[in-house]
Amino acid sequence: MLVLIGAAAVPAIGQQFTSPTSSEGTAAPSSTAPAPKVDDSALRFFAAQGDSRRLEAEMARLRALYPNWQPPKDLFSPTPDQDPDLVRLWQLFAEGKFSDIRAAIAQRQAAEPDWQPPADLVTRLDEGEAARRLVNAAEAKQWASVLRIATDTPGMLVCGNMDVLWRVAEAFVRTDATERAKDVYAYILRSCSDPKERLATAQKAMQVLDGPELDSLLALQRAKPDGTPEFASLRGDLLRSLVGRAAQDATLNVSAEDIDALEQLARNGSTADDALVLGWYAFRRGNAAQALDWFKLALDRKGGASAAEGYVLALEASGRALEAEPIAYQWRDAGADNRTAYIDLMAGLLSASPPPRLDQSIVARFAPVVSQDKSATGAQALGWYAYNTGQIRTAASWFRTAVQWAPEDEVSAFGLALSSVRLKDTATLDAIAATWVGKSERILALVSPATRRQLASRAPASSPLPLPAAVAPTPIARPAAVATSVKPAAPMPLHPAPTDRVGTNDTGRAPESSAGRGGAACSRAGAPAFRADRLSADDAVARGWCLLDLDRPREAINAFDVGIRNGAGRTAEDAAYGKSLAYLRLGLTNQAQVAAIETAQPPARAVELSVDLLTQRAIAAYRDARYVEAILALDERNRLAPEQQDLMMIRAWCYFKLRDFASAGRIFKALRAAGYADAGAGIDAIMATTRQWRS
Amino acid sequence: MLLLVALIAAPAHAKVQPGMISPSDWSAYGARFIDTSGRVIDDANGRISHSEGQGYGMLLAYLADDKATFERIWTFTRTELLIRDDGLAAWRWDPNADPHVTDINVASDGDILIAYALALAGQAWNVPAYDRSATRIAQALGQQVIRREGGRLVLLPGATGFSVGERPDGPVLNLSYWIFEAFPVLARLAPEIDWEGLAASGRELLSLARLGPAKLPPDWISAPADGPLEPAQGFEPVFGYNSLRIVLYLLRAGITDTDVQKAILNNWMVQNGGMPAIVNIPTGKALARLSEPGYRMLAATLACAIDGTAIPADLRRLQPSQYYPSTLYLLSLSLVGEKYPTCLR
Repeated sequence: MLVLIGAAAVPAIGQQFTSPTSSEGTAAPSSTAPAPKVDDSALRFFAAQGDSRRLEAEMARLRALYPNWQPPKDLFSPTPDQDPDLVRLWQLFAEGKFSDIRAAIAQRQAAEPDWQPPADLVTRLDEGEAARRLVNAAEAKQWASVLRIATDTPGMLVCGNMDVLWRVAEAFVRTDATERAKDVYAYILRSCSDPKERLATAQKAMQVLDGPELDSLLALQRAKPDGTPEFASLRGDLLRSLVGRAAQDATLNVSAEDIDALEQLARNGSTADDALVLGWYAFRRGNAAQALDWFKLALDRKGGASAAEGYVLALEASGRALEAEPIAYQWRDAGADNRTAYIDLMAGLLSASPPPRLDQSIVARFAPVVSQDKSATGAQALGWYAYNTGQIRTAASWFRTAVQWAPEDEVSAFGLALSSVRLKDTATLDAIAATWVGKSERILALVSPATRRQLASRAPASSPLPLPAAVAPTPIARPAAVATSVKPAAPMPLHPAPTDRVGTNDTGRAPESSAGRGGAACSRAGAPAFRADRLSADDAVARGWCLLDLDRPREAINAFDVGIRNGAGRTAEDAAYGKSLAYLRLGLTNQAQVAAIETAQPPARAVELSVDLLTQRAIAAYRDARYVEAILALDERNRLAPEQQDLMMIRAWCYFKLRDFASAGRIFKALRAAGYADAGAGIDAIMATTRQWRS
Repeated sequence: MLLLVALIAAPAHAKVQPGMISPSDWSAYGARFIDTSGRVIDDANGRISHSEGQGYGMLLAYLADDKATFERIWTFTRTELLIRDDGLAAWRWDPNADPHVTDINVASDGDILIAYALALAGQAWNVPAYDRSATRIAQALGQQVIRREGGRLVLLPGATGFSVGERPDGPVLNLSYWIFEAFPVLARLAPEIDWEGLAASGRELLSLARLGPAKLPPDWISAPADGPLEPAQGFEPVFGYNSLRIVLYLLRAGITDTDVQKAILNNWMVQNGGMPAIVNIPTGKALARLSEPGYRMLAATLACAIDGTAIPADLRRLQPSQYYPSTLYLLSLSLVGEKYPTCLR
């Protein structure tokens, strides 16, 4: 019934706007036509009040109704014979006191049953009430009601009731009748003359229309007194929203002309907005160097927190993380995203193996931020840094802190276990092993020779064995060869171990596509050539995979970069893919996505089918609440293609359902930092469940 | 035998006449609770307005034969509350909120009162537009809230939130939303709706709803198909401010001899010294006795109708206190004036 009413209203109002009113369309040849009997009481009242705005509106209305009508000449002379009651009624009308008018009419009719109010007053009153009712219905989002009221009282749909016209257009948009909303906007732009209302109308149209439909509307623009087209200023808005949306969504295409036009606006302007939009657009499309320039410009123009965040991310993506650190630190308190950017940047720097040479002050000023935020990621990174630089006691202390803040985080627990082995702290080691029994084989392997043997027999030859017994890592020395390297895992947020995963191949984390690759290419022989950037693209990519196998994602990224720079076709694709995996392994999802689109993946790759199948399997498992299976399917898929944001959401919710809040939280936070607004709900859910959040 | 008489008599009583509220009582009420925009103000409730108050205001204006005030209240009701897609009224309007409608849901007794007042006025004052509006609201009630739920034809209290599908203890009903006197009048405008069936299920539910030691109907009741009636979850289990008016609605519809009226009469007259009381359903204990004139008038009207007891002298004219008891007072007084004039001698 409701739908019926709504649908019935639509064509009626549509007609109202599509067909020009007859009074406008037909010229009046009628000097012979009898002069119409026009109720001019409203006119006289507004004239007497000196209300020129209403007077003009009323004249326009009467002219539209009666094309031959001429305003009376004695409009401004006193009219002694006027009914004082009517003067009062029009006065009430001007004040919008509709209830008082209705009451007064009823009162007079009770006393004088034959008395009728002027038809004009009744019409205006009906329209005034309908307009008020329509606005109330729109405020309450009762869109069918809005359209029904408009249909019942079409007389109020005139330029003088701009708010009503806008709300009718909105009702059409909300009821999926965008085409009819366009009719309303077109009616306004053809018929109404207030410049501000016209501009606002064009802006409203821009929010709901695009392409040729929008162009045809904007073509209704008029020339301003100075000769410029009235909607010229909107061109910039249009470009800005277009590029802004494309910066969020890599599937949207923006023409080179549009980008050029916005770039020109950005350069010629003096504000940071356009530069920021262009910065994010370039960054999300994998052009870190260009992004850096725009973010720099935005920062110089006081672009604030977002500019600083972009600048930091772009520097980091350009392999200049150390340079980014001072800016990241300076802006750390500007917003949640800046905070995350700083912590992620530092986590990346600190977790690298071998550890970069860092000024002690850089580490020192990171620590209080970590403590203040209770950032498990930060504490864990500080743990690895200390561990890798031989400060085992410090490492143990940071890992212990990380475990306190995120008890479910296996990587932190593993770090603490490793440190305990080095410190011969068997009490701590046993306690951790007891906590993680059945949940983490590599932790168990630290105390159980049997598990160690089991893992060793199962691990692919090229995979590192996470066994300290094989080697006590010499802290500063670079792990030289596969067989001897037991490097503590860098944080791997997307790959924790939920309870049900016992017995799955937890050690074979290297992507399948890298199996059989690398090995020798990882050898020292390649290193000098690599440093000199003279390594062939193929060798560089092989080296990248090999380093990734060794769980050295930072170095792998550098190698893949060489592959992207020097390679073409399949090699470059491989390199981009490897780079995105490496970023994912570091938990830096923003960058992972950038890397994934750095070189477009080929359309007809054999893996695509299996990617699709795995995607479906993961989604189906998630829907059936088989969360462990969903994660396994996603893991498998992850080896074939980078994980897109919606699947990361599914993964995160799986962890959430499995009560692995640390892993879920890390993904949600990374996604939110990447601008994926839905992730906020996940963070809130974790907060609510873990009672960190009181509202 | 008495019951039979009441049933036969009921249709004859269905039509109340204008002019049963005196001008002085009515102007005292209007000055206090109706503003110039036609808004009926619930002064005990943050000065908000609601569809029920607007409906009461329109019915009282009709009973006072005040066409101007009727127009005033109807104008506000139409433009501010009758904005829902389904043609029913939004129930809650707050002067301090923007937008003013703070809950778009329906309170179905408000819609019944509005449609009933429009139908009465449309016929008595010969205003076809009132009839048309009343018809539309009655039809919308039939489509949205008069439904077969839990094995009975019921009046859902709102458009959302009370049905079997929406609550584990659904349907949840409010038996004081059955304004019996309105049903025959609305049946004339929307005959496709089974108003008689609705009245019958209301009488049945009232008979079954005599719960607890005091055998009184709770304000909010769960009426599932497969179980006994119980106080609804999430509401205080009381015979409270809602249920008080059941007595009045039955009497106004010409129904005088039901078990629930006897239970209420006993509780007020015997247990609580002639005063209506808020009664806890599980314990049967009175939580509060209501001494305000408007509430005492309910008890006096019941005693008048059943035993012919005269209305006490201090209750013969309106002493406006708050919106709700004052409204109940005027509805009671107009009933006594029309049907039991001897109680006022």
